[in-house]
Amino acid sequence: MNNMSPEVALHRISPELRPLLCSVVRNGRVGLDSTNCLRVTDLKTGCTSLTPGPCCDRFKLHIPYAGETLKWDIIFNARYPELPPDFIFGEDVEFLPEPSELPHLVQWDAGNPECLLQLVKELIQQYHHYQYQRLRESSRLLFEYDSLLEDPNYGRNMEIYAGRKNSWTGEFSARFLLKLPVDFSDIPVYLLKDTALDPGEDVALLSVSFEDAEATQVFPKLYLSPSIEHALGGSSALHIPAFPSGGCLIDYVPQVCQLLTNKVQYVIQGYHKRREYIAAFLSHFGTGMVEYDAEGFTKLTLLLMWKDFCFLVHVDLPLYFPRDQPTLTFQSVYHFTNSGQLYSQVQKSYPYSPRWDGNEMAKRAKAYFKSFIPQFQEGAFANGKL
Amino acid sequence: MAASISGYTFSSVCYHSANSNSDHEGFLLGEVRQEETVSISDTQISSAELIQVVEIHNHDPCAQLFSFYDYAGKINEESLNSILKDRRKSVIGWYRFRRNTQQQMSFREQIIHKQLTELLGVPDLVFLLFSFISTANSSTHALEYVLFRPNRRFNQRITLTIPNLGNTSQQEYKVSSVPNTSLSYTQVIKEHGAEFFDKDGVMKDIRTIFQVYSALQDKVQAVCGEVEQSERVKEKIQEDVNKLKQQIALRKRKTAEEEKRLRESQNADSHSTPEENTEPSLASPLSRITFHTPSAPERPSTSPNPPSYADLLSQDDSLLSSSSPPTSAALLPRPQAVGSPGHPTPGPLGMALGLGLGLGTSSNPVTTPSTPYLGNGDGSSSDSLDRQAAGQEDDEDDEDDDEEEEDEDSSEYENLVSEAAHLPVGSASILAQGRPAALSPDGDARGSQTT
Repeated sequence: MNNMSPEVALHRISPELRPLLCSVVRNGRVGLDSTNCLRVTDLKTGCTSLTPGPCCDRFKLHIPYAGETLKWDIIFNARYPELPPDFIFGEDVEFLPEPSELPHLVQWDAGNPECLLQLVKELIQQYHHYQYQRLRESSRLLFEYDSLLEDPNYGRNMEIYAGRKNSWTGEFSARFLLKLPVDFSDIPVYLLKDTALDPGEDVALLSVSFEDAEATQVFPKLYLSPSIEHALGGSSALHIPAFPSGGCLIDYVPQVCQLLTNKVQYVIQGYHKRREYIAAFLSHFGTGMVEYDAEGFTKLTLLLMWKDFCFLVHVDLPLYFPRDQPTLTFQSVYHFTNSGQLYSQVQKSYPYSPRWDGNEMAKRAKAYFKSFIPQFQEGAFANGKL
Repeated sequence: MAASISGYTFSSVCYHSANSNSDHEGFLLGEVRQEETVSISDTQISSAELIQVVEIHNHDPCAQLFSFYDYAGKINEESLNSILKDRRKSVIGWYRFRRNTQQQMSFREQIIHKQLTELLGVPDLVFLLFSFISTANSSTHALEYVLFRPNRRFNQRITLTIPNLGNTSQQEYKVSSVPNTSLSYTQVIKEHGAEFFDKDGVMKDIRTIFQVYSALQDKVQAVCGEVEQSERVKEKIQEDVNKLKQQIALRKRKTAEEEKRLRESQNADSHSTPEENTEPSLASPLSRITFHTPSAPERPSTSPNPPSYADLLSQDDSLLSSSSPPTSAALLPRPQAVGSPGHPTPGPLGMALGLGLGLGTSSNPVTTPSTPYLGNGDGSSSDSLDRQAAGQEDDEDDEDDDEEEEDEDSSEYENLVSEAAHLPVGSASILAQGRPAALSPDGDARGSQTT
């Protein structure tokens, strides 16, 4: 019954309730973490067991919230599909929202397919409010919350989960989930398209877990949507500084935000720089250009000749170019190594400075080629076979 | 807190619930009462425990969902009243049935419960949740029920007992404490109750049984009275008998003394009065036996035999001297139950009695006082003493007979000797001598009977 695909769920549910569930399952993104959509499991029926056909009318809805997954039971009655559902809020036995705060419950309209989804969203809001009330048990954490709330950057996109007290130590734990207001829109598209998953919205979430009320044990964690993670260079991009002891979220979060923004800027800049670099090489080496990456501008291949000696130069531009130096790979067109490959030499350190612009880099590269080639030629003749 | 529901109410709720093709709800009617249990144990003087007992008598199912509340869960009091009507005051809770869900109060149920608590004014309103779980292939269905009291912070679940449902190891059918509130039932009981119950509400059978018991008790009391009466009569008779025995003994002593004087004066050499009491025991069975014989008050020809009498008297003396222990023992009053023989009479008396019964009339044995048989006579007399000591029941008969045979002492003594002759003990010769005397028809008969 678990890991039920949405289609199976929709197939089994009573036909009158299908539209409601459809919008939840297909379009339902509730909360900050939109990479995990709402999941439906444990479809059961409230009709007698001999009722034929799809007649399921109650199920469990998994809602990601503040790093937890809420498992709420939603109970309809297949025989009376016009009636609003009932809810069992799982382990949150004390969560009892005020019905007047749930307009979509009070004016339940079974004909509106979005009604259930809207109701769930309203319930989540109430749940958020309920968690806030629970957070009040710790003044320190309440302060954290309130300070963040005041900042418009973070206040609107925050979920908190005030966990149960640890029954052994009586400790109070809480988790803050913040959506970082980082603009990913300028990231070149080519970086984002490699992911196998549906990229969805690009989002960076910072989760900070407080294991005690006095904020002595704090564990931050950064979650990036897969495409962003890839665009920023893999899991190494997720390294964030540790939470300073005695520090506050209101100081720490902007820090992390800035870090991330910087990284993104780097990536964007790098892209532009690379483009500039290749453009410069193009203009300098013109006909010597064999091929170059026209999308990501990450590599470049030149075919040059010096004193009747032809050789290839492969230039690999790293992600954090121009901070990182491009790799030059010289390859002879005549000589082979023992393993059957063309004889080549890699040069990683050569005169270089990130402060040069594209033109300068091209000129300097040219000069370097001239100085290095005789060496290479000798090496090729010495080590390679024709 | 304890809760109980009668079996038929429970099954009715289940029936309504199982037959609905959606969720089902209704109200529980009954009463709540406080029970105080005082327990005394060895460790403490007393401890009083106050528990609340919830009894569910009946239920009132709702025809459809949302019948008294709206989408927001707000209760409409008018609708509630129209559903409950006059049963509103006996509402102690409500129930809900839903299939394939958790045993936990839902969002709307909690809202409704709060409102019901206020509206109905029942502070400890209970909520009975039925949950029906079916397996995927519909092979097993489980009906689970939990009784909540959500208005409390802790211990929200109460166990609901259904009498006679559950433990099948108990053999007997328990009478439920939950009363039957059906009107029809009360009517029938009122109509036909007079056949079983009297005006006080006590079952008639109990009264009749009690009457039988009382009658039996009265009879027992009456019998007790009769027994007491007869006991007193017997006691009086016993006293008389004792008196008479004493008189006989006295007379015997006197005659014996006289004879002794006579003999002493007659005979220079006094014949040895054998003082063996070897045959007292021998004589006793004989005489005993004679007592058992149907005591036809035979009056052997009473030929007064002064000599025998005198002999006996002398013998008595010797007896008395020789067999002092048994005599004394015989004379000691013994505690006896009712029906046991009374005080032992002095030997000669009893002996005389016994002999008087069984012996025929013959003066022969009497005329042989010189024979050792007289020793037998002694023995027999002592036998009689022993007999008395042993507490023979025959003594009563003997005593009765004694009264009659008072006047025939001499004949008794004759009999005594002859009887003694019957005993095949020790001195056979003596016995043999006595036998001829015993051969008198009467004696023979006796003897045969006795033997």
